[in-house]
Amino acid sequence: MINPESGLAGAPTAGAPEGHSAAVELENVTKRYGEVTAVEDLDLRVEDGQFLTLLGPSGCGKTTTLRLIGGFEAPNRGIIRIGGDDMSSRPAYKRPVNTVFQQYALFPHLSVSQNVGYGLKHAGVSRSETAERVGEMMSLMQIPDVGDRRPRELSGGQQQRVALARALVMEPKVLLLDEPLGALDYKLRKEMQFELKRIHREVGVTFIYVTHDQEEAMTMSDRIVVMSHGHIEQDASPAEIFDRPLTAFVADFIGDTNIVHGTVTRIEGGHATVDLGPLGEIGGSTDDQLASGDRVRVSIRPTDVHVEPGGAGEAVVQDSVLVGGHIAMKIASGDETVVAHVARGSSYEPGANVHLRVDSDRIRVFAAAEGA
Amino acid sequence: MSDAAAQVGLPPVTPEEDHKVGKGKGRAFLGIPVVGWMLIFFGIPYFLLFLQSLWEPTAFGVSHNWNLQNYKLVFFGDSLSGNIYLPTLLRSLKVGAMVTVFSTLLAFPIAYLLAFKIANSRTRLMLYVLVIVPLWASYLLRAYAWKVILGQNGLLGSVLDKVGLENTFLNNLLYSQAAVVITMTHIFTPFMILTIYAVLERLPPSLIEASKDLGVGRVKTFLTLVVPLSLPGVIAGATFTMGLSSGDFVAPQLVGGKNDVMIANQVYSQFGATNNWPLGSAIAFVLLGFVAILVAISTQAEKREQL
Repeated sequence: MINPESGLAGAPTAGAPEGHSAAVELENVTKRYGEVTAVEDLDLRVEDGQFLTLLGPSGCGKTTTLRLIGGFEAPNRGIIRIGGDDMSSRPAYKRPVNTVFQQYALFPHLSVSQNVGYGLKHAGVSRSETAERVGEMMSLMQIPDVGDRRPRELSGGQQQRVALARALVMEPKVLLLDEPLGALDYKLRKEMQFELKRIHREVGVTFIYVTHDQEEAMTMSDRIVVMSHGHIEQDASPAEIFDRPLTAFVADFIGDTNIVHGTVTRIEGGHATVDLGPLGEIGGSTDDQLASGDRVRVSIRPTDVHVEPGGAGEAVVQDSVLVGGHIAMKIASGDETVVAHVARGSSYEPGANVHLRVDSDRIRVFAAAEGA
Repeated sequence: MSDAAAQVGLPPVTPEEDHKVGKGKGRAFLGIPVVGWMLIFFGIPYFLLFLQSLWEPTAFGVSHNWNLQNYKLVFFGDSLSGNIYLPTLLRSLKVGAMVTVFSTLLAFPIAYLLAFKIANSRTRLMLYVLVIVPLWASYLLRAYAWKVILGQNGLLGSVLDKVGLENTFLNNLLYSQAAVVITMTHIFTPFMILTIYAVLERLPPSLIEASKDLGVGRVKTFLTLVVPLSLPGVIAGATFTMGLSSGDFVAPQLVGGKNDVMIANQVYSQFGATNNWPLGSAIAFVLLGFVAILVAISTQAEKREQL
């Protein structure tokens, strides 16, 4: 009854060509705070001009990684290189990177132009050149007319742009962004995502962006590094992360998904056929070492679940709610509960008997966690 | 803090909106306790004092003979005793200024240490308590302690004698202006630490990080960022210290010499010894005027800082 296509062909890895020095390189970097290990044995290579996002739940080590690159924390172990140069002995103020802070951290006692020109002024750049570069940068950020105001007189979105201008005017090799959109409301956040992409395109600087918002990561990044508990879960392009998550954690964290349990019946290369009990058999791709009879977890995107009229005892609709453009249905089948996203007008009332059909090449099979 | 709202992207609260809540007409009576309190304990006494200052002293009391004689005496003196009040007032302001400068210089590093350099919260709490503890001891006790330290055979003198430094000016500091300044600096430094710390503590560490991120080193960051942003606290503490120390009469009485009398001692002796309440009131009002000017200046300065 379930009729999936086979797994994806091996997508190209996001790994980098060797031979030249990367914009940022982390080698075996570990950072501990007392007993807590924030980042463990991290290896990361960020290419010039990339828009890379460090994505993960709070406490996964993404902000620590950013602060290590910025020089606000020193690693307990490992090497950090920026543009090929070892940063071990370089404090934050000597590193060729600039940061956009979470709450912008604009200087409240200075005007907007003074904020943007702060770094240049103290670097000894002449007054006229500073004024010129500040003006250019503020036009690029589309806030050319707020120079004489104080930061607090600006809206959140404008403050955001000032923070970007202040960092980018220094012409850094790498721009670090620490959840810069977190303080904005939904609509403005959407707008700024496109703005950030545009700015990234125009200045061509390497962006390292930290967020816990998977949608933000998906929209903007060339490459996403999903982190959890201080290590990297997956490092790939947004499409690959979504279509071919390496672990159940990534599948669960990126986009909505159903994780259902089953037993492997057949395995052929990277393709596993799994018996899901009342849900029937399903095939999906896997990167784990599996054998027939293994307990596994299967990730099925809600959009890949098709709901059709069915007989009694198969599956029962529990709930059906309108979520903007589509309807989310909660359907019970045996012990499992599956969420399906269907078009408006093709949903069923709670209590209806339905038949579930999964039709996708995005099904992923993961070895069950220890003890599961 | 309204700029906190701005920083998280909330729309700024406009003054109109801010006051909407209190617009009801019958709300005025809510202010009665405050206004009443101020009237009974400040307004009326000050008014009575002001009336006093316009009267004339007699052998056994006052005659209600309205004139500005007392103020003339304060500013210009008379042929009998010369001009003693205005110079005393100016000396008091000078001592107050010295105390303010020294306690600021002492307090800033401690407040800075407390706010930024001590990561362990228990250590910080302990230091904080150490700052506050002297405030629990009586002012008189602390002034007497300085008598013991600064006296001719006092702690400081004996130690200096022991190491072979005899007859330096430090061996006998008691009963001098220096002793007055030292004592009051000790008294007021904790207040200064608390007001500066209150400002530094609210300074987001990310501001300092942002400065370093933009290539500015530690010292320059301190001078261009931390110092200007701490000014509201410094101004508040300085106003407080200046006002209280230039109007002090305990320290000059206990550790000052006979030439170190300050203006509050004059007020005290007019009321307590000479029984010349009108003159005492006039002196008090002149002092009040100077302090009012000081507060006005500092309020202006603070407003400018907060723009």
